[in-house]
Amino acid sequence: MPPDSEQERYFINLVNEHQGLIHKVCMMYENDRDARNDLFQEVVLQLWKSFHTFRGDSKITTWMYRIALNTAISGLRKQGRKIQTEELNDYHLNVSDRESDNAEENFEKLQWAIRKLSEIERAMIMMALDEIPYDEIAETIGITQNNVRVRMNRIREKLRKLMNG
Amino acid sequence: MEELDDLKSIWKQQPPGIDAKNTDEIARMLQGRSTSIVTRLKRSVWFELAFTLISGIALATYGLYAKSGQLKWMVLTLSVIFAVYIFYYIKKLLLLSRYTLNETDLKTNLENLIAGLTTYLSFYKRSYTILYPVFFCLGLFFGAMDAGLDNFLHRFKQLSFLIWFVLITGIFMVGVFRITGWYLKKLYGDHLEKLKELLRELESIR
Repeated sequence: MPPDSEQERYFINLVNEHQGLIHKVCMMYENDRDARNDLFQEVVLQLWKSFHTFRGDSKITTWMYRIALNTAISGLRKQGRKIQTEELNDYHLNVSDRESDNAEENFEKLQWAIRKLSEIERAMIMMALDEIPYDEIAETIGITQNNVRVRMNRIREKLRKLMNG
Repeated sequence: MEELDDLKSIWKQQPPGIDAKNTDEIARMLQGRSTSIVTRLKRSVWFELAFTLISGIALATYGLYAKSGQLKWMVLTLSVIFAVYIFYYIKKLLLLSRYTLNETDLKTNLENLIAGLTTYLSFYKRSYTILYPVFFCLGLFFGAMDAGLDNFLHRFKQLSFLIWFVLITGIFMVGVFRITGWYLKKLYGDHLEKLKELLRELESIR
């Protein structure tokens, strides 16, 4: 299906270029493959609906995070699809027992650790890991920069404990 | 590995096991249907509105062309009730249209969604608190017309019938209110609680 406008083509290329970000949000908030695909589609739809509001004041990734997180955390949510931390316990045992010297394993371990955090903490650490500045994280979440700084310290501490098992 | 910079380098990798989308798939997604909670609510209200409108027109047409008699008036009364319901659904749609997802930060978005859903649910509850007794009285009225008013009133002079009637009415009313309350909680109440919990977490960040 060919895009029918210049703006639509631009948008599709933008999503294509940054789809890793959307995939990561879907992985952190949904457990099974179907639910992730549904969330991916919903995020793309919401991004498209809000595309006219993006004025370039912040990084494009900040804007994408805002929409994706709003959709994942408050907008979609079908019952029974949320990630339950109990489900992740065995995963940690499997990963921590292996030599985590390759990229994929490291990513899986990090993913496991992030999914053990609360939904709000997940949102904050994902943005921080994608180099979103603290002022833009604060603006996206709706709290002060100082609060972001304090909470990020706690999140890092939690991640350190989780990653070291 | 646990320092933020190390984690950032891990995070930059393409996540393993993802379904990478090509531009054609992304283009198709733009034509898809939204599954957000507000969109789903709107969709179901539009369906109910269309059903009520069609049924109301069909009933009114039948009532206007039917020969005079009890059935004609019963059908016309029902079509009037359906007409009232149309305003009820429009009001529901207006309540849902107040909410727009994503335009704000996460905290404001949660606050708006909680306020929107709370207003919507309380309107829903208020309306059935009024409508169920109205339907019950109409049922009695039609029953009385069908049995003949004298016959109908005569039954209430018997104490056993009166007790039975009060008991059944009580069970029916409590039952429908409870079932509707349970249904609403199951559909949206749990979601609303989850949203409130998230907002509390955001507000607790110091």
